[in-house]
Amino acid sequence: MNVVIMRLTLRALLGSRRVWILVGMAALLWIVAGLSRWGSGADVGTATGVIVNFGFGTLVPIMCLLVGTGAVAPEIEDGSIVYLLAKPVPRRTVVLSKLIVAMAVAVAFSVISIVVAAQIAGDAEGQLALSMGVASALASIAYVAVFFMIGVVSRNSIIVGLIYAMLWEGTLAGYVPGVRAVSVRQWALAPAEQIVEDNSVISIASDLPLVPAIVLLVLATVVSTIVSVQRLKVLSARVSE
Amino acid sequence: MSTIELHGVSRWFGNVVAVNDVTMSIGPGVTGLLGPNGAGKSTLLSMMGGFLPPSSGTVTIDGVPVWRNPELYSGIGLVPETEAMFDAMTAYEFVLANARLHRVDDPASATVAALEQVELIEARDRKVGTFSKGMKQRVKMATALVHKPKVLLLDEPFNGMDPRQRLHLLELLQRLGDEGHTVLFSSHILEEVEDVAGTIEVIVAGRQAASGDFRSIRRLMTERPHQYTVTSSDNRALAAAIIADGSADAVNLTSDVLSIQASDFGRFVHALPRIARDAGIALHDVTPADESLESVFAYLVAR
Amino acid sequence: MTSQESAVTPDGVATDSVIHDIGFRHYDGPRLGRGWAFRSLFYETLRGSFGLGRPAKVKIMPWVLIVLFALPSLVMVAITILTASEELPLSYTMYPVAISLVVSLFIAGRAPYAVSRDLRDGIMPLYLSRPIRRQDYVYAKLLGLSAAVWIFVATPVTILFIGALLAKFSVKDAIFGWLGGLLMAAVLSILLTSISLVLASFTKRKGLGVAAVLSTLILLNGFVAVLVSVVDMQSSETAASYFAVLDPYMLVDGLGAAWLGVDTTFLYSQPDGALGAVYYSAVLLVVVTGCVAILLRRFKKVGGV
Repeated sequence: MNVVIMRLTLRALLGSRRVWILVGMAALLWIVAGLSRWGSGADVGTATGVIVNFGFGTLVPIMCLLVGTGAVAPEIEDGSIVYLLAKPVPRRTVVLSKLIVAMAVAVAFSVISIVVAAQIAGDAEGQLALSMGVASALASIAYVAVFFMIGVVSRNSIIVGLIYAMLWEGTLAGYVPGVRAVSVRQWALAPAEQIVEDNSVISIASDLPLVPAIVLLVLATVVSTIVSVQRLKVLSARVSE
Repeated sequence: MSTIELHGVSRWFGNVVAVNDVTMSIGPGVTGLLGPNGAGKSTLLSMMGGFLPPSSGTVTIDGVPVWRNPELYSGIGLVPETEAMFDAMTAYEFVLANARLHRVDDPASATVAALEQVELIEARDRKVGTFSKGMKQRVKMATALVHKPKVLLLDEPFNGMDPRQRLHLLELLQRLGDEGHTVLFSSHILEEVEDVAGTIEVIVAGRQAASGDFRSIRRLMTERPHQYTVTSSDNRALAAAIIADGSADAVNLTSDVLSIQASDFGRFVHALPRIARDAGIALHDVTPADESLESVFAYLVAR
Repeated sequence: MTSQESAVTPDGVATDSVIHDIGFRHYDGPRLGRGWAFRSLFYETLRGSFGLGRPAKVKIMPWVLIVLFALPSLVMVAITILTASEELPLSYTMYPVAISLVVSLFIAGRAPYAVSRDLRDGIMPLYLSRPIRRQDYVYAKLLGLSAAVWIFVATPVTILFIGALLAKFSVKDAIFGWLGGLLMAAVLSILLTSISLVLASFTKRKGLGVAAVLSTLILLNGFVAVLVSVVDMQSSETAASYFAVLDPYMLVDGLGAAWLGVDTTFLYSQPDGALGAVYYSAVLLVVVTGCVAILLRRFKKVGGV
């Protein structure tokens, strides 16, 4: 793990306009949570719907997309990544350093947004906050790894990432049940479902049982990381068009 | 001492051949990589810098292939063409980060030394994003020098520098070359290359057009007659005498200079003093008119 | 070699300096002028949005998105014909608004291409030192991108129309429906383009521009969905319809209902009578003119951002 790269990545993520979009998104979620509370009288069932669908289903993937791609794609696009690559640092270290920082930022933003939103919208003994907080943390880790890989591999990382997060995990998953099994969202919901299993008010459903879901999350994270490292090793001098 | 070796290196992108069967050996001292735009200089530099694999052939530094070998970068300093840098950092912070990544002992003083070498020490606490183009080039130089590499690869390093900065950088490169570093820089500005490069490598349309000292290259161009301008106490008479002697191909007399073309320059150069002395004419000035890099280059490109 | 001649400068001073005519041609003929420059910029923006006239790599994303967007319409047409159904699953006006995500993806990708690169490369002075004015630049980009989005949206709408003809629906209804769909597609295009260009013009980085536009459109969608249902719960459906205008897709949906009398896609975007119709139309006008005003101010400084 290279501290210099970690610091550089942290600066890049938090120092740009990107971070304001993240903050705005968190604020938006809290406003929505507030609306839900006002509209439904802090009904936990409604709150669950808002947190799971809007918060976890829309906001968290987009946050992770911005952080995951933002940790690497802008530097590849403008060529400044050469300053990290023309150094006696193994590519694996470059990727891991960046990923750790990106994951930390994503987890921080998503978990705080979700947990606070759950409290605002209406919770039952903090169960909603806990379950969805855990789900968000796990999802963020996997999402960031996947989106980082997309950032290294594709020039249209944001659009490709969104096609995956919204079209694949969202729309298609609604029509084709099989798709749901290959979706970070579903995998991360499994532990959440476990946590609120006995809760009568909060109902979270996941398509997969706990163990396969966790395994898939880990697998997705590891495989994406490996692909990122391999790709970075052969990154040729790219000029943005 | 480090040597960059290219053996039969070619690089193609789809149907376009950017570099065509180039073999060269670049040793200590300053070498200029010369060629028109689009000739393949940047591609060659990218390959030497380990950022592009050759499609065929080998690119090695001291026998070790550069591709996929990040460990080599401790000994290589790269000045890339990209303008983008970490704009939000100050010059000091940026060069320091580079020093740390290079695992330099005492990165702080190495950074200060590098900044002083490129004369950016006063601007050290200003953000890189506010720098002019010339200053950005100098920051790039600093990052390439901070770990005192044995090999320096510079892609159009004088871009955007004003004459004074350019002079300073030329002196720096000259000094590094004299100290035994292997310095390779690409340029299409001939005056720069002429001043400082001991050897030149000329690349035209992806092929190696010539390599070596440019004056020797000129001498090798036997199919091109050498051109001289001569001024003397009596140009007209001298012209007549030269023509009578037959050692020159053509003599052109204008109001104050004689332009002489001679394919056998050796013969001519020996004949001229004799002719002048026999005719009682004093030679004021004898200058090779086309032994500049520019004319050499023009010949090479036009072939 | 050139010969030395004495010349006389306009103020009558003899000098040894000479300007040589080395063959640069001075052009005195007719020039095509501002209108032509505007048209060229318009076409260039339009073509660039689909990657035409650019290397192949750039063409992939827009064309993938067009196919992605048009695919469901093909499926719908097939289903309609095969099941001998009485009407299309999604009407001409409902389709773009229902499958809004892909439209958002398209425009989020194309808006930065239209403006971010110009800003990053600092070539506004190049543009503005030619016959076109700042307004021309803004309008050309706006119209060019809107035209591209319109073509994008109109494609499946037209496929639905052809499907309707093939399924032997009433030709008159089909034609009116199709034209209505095209009209609302145009409105949607202009609205989305205005908003997206404003967002994209605030950054030089293409990636950030894409992120900004996409996040805004998707999150607005989600946010307004929750907002209107909450307002409905607290108040009424009609009250909710007043808030629905915050989402561009719902706004256009409601406008379609107001102007053309078609059904709305969303529950809450039905404008409330004549007042609602005026309100919706006013919002459209305000948003578009506001965005155009912001764009004009953005490009006022010759240096750009």
